[in-house]
Amino acid sequence: MFSLSSEAKVGLFVLVGLIILGYMSVQVGKQSFGLKKGYTLEVVFDSAAGLDRDASVQIAGVEVGRVESIRLKDGKALVRLRIVPNVKLEKDAIASIKTHGILGDKYVEIYPGTHGEAYLAAGEQISRTERQADIDRLLHQLGLIADDVRGVTSSLNRVLAGQAGEEAITSILTNTKALTRNLNHVIVSNEAALRAALENTRQLTGNLNRVVTRNDEKVGQVIDTLKSASREMEKTFAALSEITGGVNRGEGTLGQLVKDKGTAEKLNQTLASLQEVTQKINEGRGSIGKLVNDDETVRNLNEGLTGLNRYVNKAEQFRTFLSYRGEYLFDKSNAKSYLDLRIQPKEDKFYILGVVSDPNGRRTTKDVTVGGVTTRTEEWDRDGLLFNAQIGKRYKDLVLRGGLLESTGGIGIDYLTLNDKLKLSFEAFGFGRDRRAHLKAGAEYRLFRHLYLSAGWDDFVSDQDNRSIYGGFSIRFEDEDLKYMLTTTPIPK
Amino acid sequence: MNRFSGALDRLGRAVLAGVEEMGKIILLFVSVLAWMFRPPFKLHNIFKQMEFVGVKSIFVVVLTGTFTGMVMALQGYHGFRMFSAESLVGGTVALGMTRELGPVLTSLMVTARAGSAMAAELGTMRVTEQIDALYVMAANPVKHLIVPRVIAGVLMVPLLTVVSDFTGILGGYFVGVHILGINSGIFIKNITRLVDLNDIYNGLVKAACFGLILSLIGCYKGFNTYGGAEGVGRATTEAVVLASIAILISDYFLTAIMF
Repeated sequence: MFSLSSEAKVGLFVLVGLIILGYMSVQVGKQSFGLKKGYTLEVVFDSAAGLDRDASVQIAGVEVGRVESIRLKDGKALVRLRIVPNVKLEKDAIASIKTHGILGDKYVEIYPGTHGEAYLAAGEQISRTERQADIDRLLHQLGLIADDVRGVTSSLNRVLAGQAGEEAITSILTNTKALTRNLNHVIVSNEAALRAALENTRQLTGNLNRVVTRNDEKVGQVIDTLKSASREMEKTFAALSEITGGVNRGEGTLGQLVKDKGTAEKLNQTLASLQEVTQKINEGRGSIGKLVNDDETVRNLNEGLTGLNRYVNKAEQFRTFLSYRGEYLFDKSNAKSYLDLRIQPKEDKFYILGVVSDPNGRRTTKDVTVGGVTTRTEEWDRDGLLFNAQIGKRYKDLVLRGGLLESTGGIGIDYLTLNDKLKLSFEAFGFGRDRRAHLKAGAEYRLFRHLYLSAGWDDFVSDQDNRSIYGGFSIRFEDEDLKYMLTTTPIPK
Repeated sequence: MNRFSGALDRLGRAVLAGVEEMGKIILLFVSVLAWMFRPPFKLHNIFKQMEFVGVKSIFVVVLTGTFTGMVMALQGYHGFRMFSAESLVGGTVALGMTRELGPVLTSLMVTARAGSAMAAELGTMRVTEQIDALYVMAANPVKHLIVPRVIAGVLMVPLLTVVSDFTGILGGYFVGVHILGINSGIFIKNITRLVDLNDIYNGLVKAACFGLILSLIGCYKGFNTYGGAEGVGRATTEAVVLASIAILISDYFLTAIMF
């Protein structure tokens, strides 16, 4: 049998032992290989509690180095890390101390910085650290919370524990029990009464329903009454309009206004628009009709009147102008004055009422027949006033007017130009068999807001040597007071 | 009073005997050191002792190591399971084997097996006056008998410890992974994470010290045997007991120094 010498056996044993030792060393020391060549970095932590020398340094869980030393520096922990050479860390890398699980070892985790930053060189310091929610801090906070909870429970305990608390709870429960029992008792014993109450309620609602149904009719009646009331109002306003018409006529009797049919018609139209106003009130009736409440009716009546006022006010767009015009007749060496009231209900429609003082005065003729011989005497009433009463309508730049001109029938044409600044006018009036008509042509120019200059040729076809060039001025302004007088007068209170 | 002084007397003698014995062992160690480096070197003698101490102890050591690792894994598992850290079993077994149990158990086994043999062998040579014969032959018995044994002890016990460590970890791995169902990757990962090279090397240094202690004490006891066959038996027993105690006590101080 082949037998090994002692030396061979020992040699073999030593070999095997060394191989095993080598294997174990390699396995255990694997991570340390290459580390000796690595470079060091420094990190300052507020606390390195639990961190040991040779603790792992990891990036994303991969070990890249070990903690080489931990020292105290300025009250903080200066930790020197040895990092394997092929791992480079950017300048803004962050280091923090972490724990494997709850009870595990502490290690240093490094979050690499931004890609592209400069790398940290050997011996430099990782400036950014992150505080970790470590178990100590967690337990400390848990302890604080537990203290609070204990405070609450102990105060609860103080309230509830002991004879008094127990009695209080017992009495509360007893009361609750009694209460529910009583409630039950009440309900059971009063079942009939409750049922009766419900029945009553049902009847009540039924009655209410009937009342409402009957009321429906009455509401209708109320509305009808309102309707007729408003119709009465309509009539009232119609009467009012007649009154105003009367007033107008009354004014007319002062002059020859009423003789002019057109004027009357225009006035009637104005009154017709007043009627429209009352019709608006009729429309207002619709909303009144919806009302079932007396208060509301009153309110709506008020609203209706407000609306009426509004429309009356609209009538106030109605403008009145007063004007004085003086003309100097050069050839006659005297002056003629006009005082006109111009009423303009619409933009393109106006009435002119006015008086004219003519230096020629008012001519009156008298035929006196004495013994078959008739002699005609003409008198000029120098103090007599002539009247103007015209109606006019404007078509764009052209104004046509007619009526009484200087107390005789006539017509006039105005042409407005230069943005209404310049008015060229032609008037013809005083038609008579015995004399030629009075024709007048002139121009008026607005100098300022209320001041106009005028010039023209008066009576240029006169056969009585009345023709004359004239020049003058006029003052014209809008009269608010007059307007109010005119518009508010017809509205009776 | 008499009895009391008698007790004191015995205590004093015992302490004196202990101190004297320790001094003799240290002197023996010094003379071993002195003779170790003095030619001629009888390499064959050394190898024979190495074979006896090392190679022939392998089986015992492997058995001890394996079962120690297995039992550690089992115990550690039940302990760690209490806080769900079963994966730490591997590291614990490896750490315990390399630092402590490997060297101590190996040297205890070697003490029992080889240390006792040394004491018996040398004791028999003493009582049969073979050692005296060596003196007569002008051959130093320390040089011839003790130096090879001490060298073998110092060299072989660490090597046996390596084997013990390895088989212990293997045993722990077997139990942990195959019986207790711990993930093998985590098991090994935790071994490499927790165990350092220094743990292994310090364990080996310890083992070398233990090897020195057990061989020295075995040789001393055998070398100073008296009283015939009975004396040989007593020397053997004393050698094993003393060596074991010395190993365990010195283990504490070595650990304190090294870790």
